Amino acid sequence: MPRPVVKEITFTLDGREITAPEGMILVDAAGKYGDTEIPVFCYEPKLGQPVGACRMCLVEIEGIPKLQTGCSTPIRDGMVVHTQTQRVHDAQRAVVEFLLINHPLDCPVCDKGGECPLQDITYGWGPGTSRFIEPKRHFKKPLELSPLIAIDRERCILCYRCVRYSQEVAEDYQLVLQQRGAASYVSTFDGHPYVAPFSGNIIELCPVGALTSRAYRFRARPWDIEGAGTVCAGCTAQCNVELTVRDERVLRVLSRDHSEVDDGWLCDKGRFSYQAVHAEERITQPLVREGAELHPASWEKAIEAAAAALKKAGDRAAALAGGTTTNEEAFLLSGLLRDKLGSSHLATGVGGEQPLDVVRALADPKLQATVPDLEFAHTVLLVDCDPIDEAPVWDLRIRKGVRRHGTKLVVASARPTALDQNAAATLRFAPGGAEGFLVALDAALSGDAGNLGGAASAAGTNATAIQEFADALRAGGEEVVIVYGDRALRGSAGRALLNIASRLNLANVANAGLLELPSTPNGRGLREVGFAAGHGPGFSTISAPGHGAEAIASGLASGDLHTVWLHHVDPLRNYPNRPAWEKALGTAQTVIAVESQLTDTVREYADVVFPAEAYPEKEGTITHPDGRVQRLRQAIGHPRAASDVPGSGVRALWQVISDVARELGHSAGTAIAGAVVSKRVFEAVPFYNGMTLDGIGGRGLRWQEHATFEVEQSDPFVLAVPASLPAKGESELRLGTFRPLWAHKDVDLSPALQFIRAKQVVELSKADADARGIGEGDRVEIGNGTRIPGTARIRAAIPAGSVFVAEGIAEHNANVLTHGIVEVHRVGPGSTDATSIPIQSTPAVEGRAEMPPSAGLPIPPREVT
Amino acid sequence: MPYDPGDDVVVIHQPREGAASGTFRAFAATLKGLKMTFSRAVEGTTTIGYPEEKTPVYPRFRGRHKLHRFEDTGLEKCVGCSLCAAACPADCIRVVAAENTPENRVSAGERYAAVYEINLSRCIFCGYCEIACPFDAITLGHDYEMADYNRSDLIFTKEMLLAEPLERTPLRTPDE
Repeated sequence: MPRPVVKEITFTLDGREITAPEGMILVDAAGKYGDTEIPVFCYEPKLGQPVGACRMCLVEIEGIPKLQTGCSTPIRDGMVVHTQTQRVHDAQRAVVEFLLINHPLDCPVCDKGGECPLQDITYGWGPGTSRFIEPKRHFKKPLELSPLIAIDRERCILCYRCVRYSQEVAEDYQLVLQQRGAASYVSTFDGHPYVAPFSGNIIELCPVGALTSRAYRFRARPWDIEGAGTVCAGCTAQCNVELTVRDERVLRVLSRDHSEVDDGWLCDKGRFSYQAVHAEERITQPLVREGAELHPASWEKAIEAAAAALKKAGDRAAALAGGTTTNEEAFLLSGLLRDKLGSSHLATGVGGEQPLDVVRALADPKLQATVPDLEFAHTVLLVDCDPIDEAPVWDLRIRKGVRRHGTKLVVASARPTALDQNAAATLRFAPGGAEGFLVALDAALSGDAGNLGGAASAAGTNATAIQEFADALRAGGEEVVIVYGDRALRGSAGRALLNIASRLNLANVANAGLLELPSTPNGRGLREVGFAAGHGPGFSTISAPGHGAEAIASGLASGDLHTVWLHHVDPLRNYPNRPAWEKALGTAQTVIAVESQLTDTVREYADVVFPAEAYPEKEGTITHPDGRVQRLRQAIGHPRAASDVPGSGVRALWQVISDVARELGHSAGTAIAGAVVSKRVFEAVPFYNGMTLDGIGGRGLRWQEHATFEVEQSDPFVLAVPASLPAKGESELRLGTFRPLWAHKDVDLSPALQFIRAKQVVELSKADADARGIGEGDRVEIGNGTRIPGTARIRAAIPAGSVFVAEGIAEHNANVLTHGIVEVHRVGPGSTDATSIPIQSTPAVEGRAEMPPSAGLPIPPREVT
Repeated sequence: MPYDPGDDVVVIHQPREGAASGTFRAFAATLKGLKMTFSRAVEGTTTIGYPEEKTPVYPRFRGRHKLHRFEDTGLEKCVGCSLCAAACPADCIRVVAAENTPENRVSAGERYAAVYEINLSRCIFCGYCEIACPFDAITLGHDYEMADYNRSDLIFTKEMLLAEPLERTPLRTPDE
């Protein structure tokens, strides 16, 4: 969809001629082009249409007798605006006086005090005195709006921002304004806690201290803290964040609005899981296994042990990387294995790797869509992925496109997605049928009726549905963005995807293309710097390709591989087929793990453990799925070890890998500073050439805009119909897995997020549930041989015959189920455990129960020098 | 070129050599000085015998800080708002706030100062903290005797600041 074309117009602001784009809202135009600040409370362009609720932005416009709200008036050619007349000043003072009538004067105890727009505007535009001597409105305070958010209704100025956010941006429709007039207050409709994936954004939106973070409650005042800009490495979306730091501790995460990446929103996982950085459970010094036990060891000893194991392993060494691995770490580690040890057994994704020509073709800059394209495209196609779980802010981006720009969303997935309600067309295929679907869609687009039927039935759907879906995909317009999860790319799926892209002519349409959702946060960067079995830095060919993840597991189990380095990866939790990995790690001669906590992998299998850095401690670069190289900046120092001997605590991981390389005599893989490694990465990857850390800066650089990457163009591939899915019996169900947003080890360690920790749920269709006598919330068991317990959730949108369970969670993880066909049994009625979901059932006019006290404050000892 | 001072040179004429001037210098000038000395000696001492005796201070003298409690409830007046730390030009105040609970009510407001430290080795006794405090919780007292053997002992904690201070320093009476 073409982005709006802007026409420049001229208007008069306080006697000056200002040129600005036509249709721009007056307060924006005055601020950006006229250098005149018009105070606002309720206006926030990110929330969509202005409402003009607070009346703070009144201005005088010639030709209109009454004062007008600047936040809802678009500028027109020849408009004459006055913002500094006595009439305007009187109106502004009156509005501030009115707003402060019921606002308590508790700024000294308010968390917003010092960074509060109401304070600032009162100082700047307020009357200075109040004539109001009557008692103020009183509410019980503070109240728990959710376990993460405290609401203080006395402070609320009824600007509607939070309500509009909930209704129009997050679309969870939970927050509403109850009552009328002076009795109005913000609440959820039925008094339930406001629990949603994006609820934390209202804390930042609130222009007063009415909505505050419970985790940050009373932790610091604005003059006690420092802001440190970095990038959240919690998921693929890589939102730009600003960390609030006090006494070397991260206390809060704020959004650092970047319209090309996150549009200024954060998910609650990114906003609150910073608490894991300072968790007691963190490993802060190297551990080495002696006998059966892991013991704290010196860095020298651990590096020696790791180097000795790698030396013994030679080309039988393997490495897995994921999580917050930076490009620099991946580059050094892959260089160490490939150049020194001669091994290319490097794996990042949970699935297999596509052939090199497909990988290269998918990285074609011409085919690359960007995040803003999700908002402005004619059609967005989701292929077997749910952005809310894997890159949450993309979910908001797509919602915005559908709501405000008329983007058409079409969803093809096995599991119903959170975006289905906004979709113009949805297609359900069987779990594991993504490859069949892509081949069938390619056939439908090319009119290959022969392939269409076969591939459609291989995907567990039918040719008519695929054909209708293909028509819906084409009908919207030529700008199509295809979002695909990298776990959909199995077998010929990559070629099918390229075929679809060429049939839709995406390479030659601007603002259209493919957008991958890698399964690890820096999946794209790891691949581009050469951490892959099949190619070197910049997708260069290598002489001896190595094994992918599954082959590494079987190689370790059979003894073909000797040692494995797990870099921010926990295969027992995050990779499919846990039994195979248990066998592999048990058989492996040496397991070197870089990990931040004592996971099962570390406790049972690791021989050498290097403490992992948390992302606020990292320095380096990561690459966004649309090719934007972004910088991680160090915000806090590395934690010290328990022994407190200087130098014994956590070290930068580039330094650890460099030290291991030095121990192995690999001088090319050593470095004296993180920036040196970054420079080396920029030199080694052809399309990163010319980048500098300064050039990347705080906003990142998309390499596609600065570099070229030539891909051999080929004709559409001829595809075979993929093998059909294994047959299932009458009483059996096809197993699909999904990774909930909350399935992350940092969530498990964050006290604030305990209430929402991912637990096992078994999602099944109404028909299947009825056939088994299962009701919503019942306890069920699922499996085939191995069984795991879970709570049943019945979803109407799931087609009969499929069942979905959560993977990547701490307990009862789906990856112990190795069969694609499972049975589900009811075990008992649902638990009445109040901790499962916090529900408060007694809404009162002034709110609910009094807020329970927040967790104890860990006060760091002050160092006396 | 050698420096030529020109007309700026003032020639000093010394007293002439001789018996009369020599006698004057030896006795008369010395006696002149001693006259002043002895005349002061009968006036008595003006120094005081510190530390046995202390200088009284004015009521608005700014000495060591005190934190206050409400007299009726015994709750701390300080709510940990950290405004004193913001006002402090020497950056010597550190406040870490925490939340009052029904079981553990420390101050009258929603929050209280879990940590309140003043580094008196850095403090310049400007009194801005007292001015900034919205609850009159901190005032500067009259005690100026704060010498210690350790720098770290000069970091006063909340307990030390809340404790009833020793009235070691006499207050100047209005007629003094």
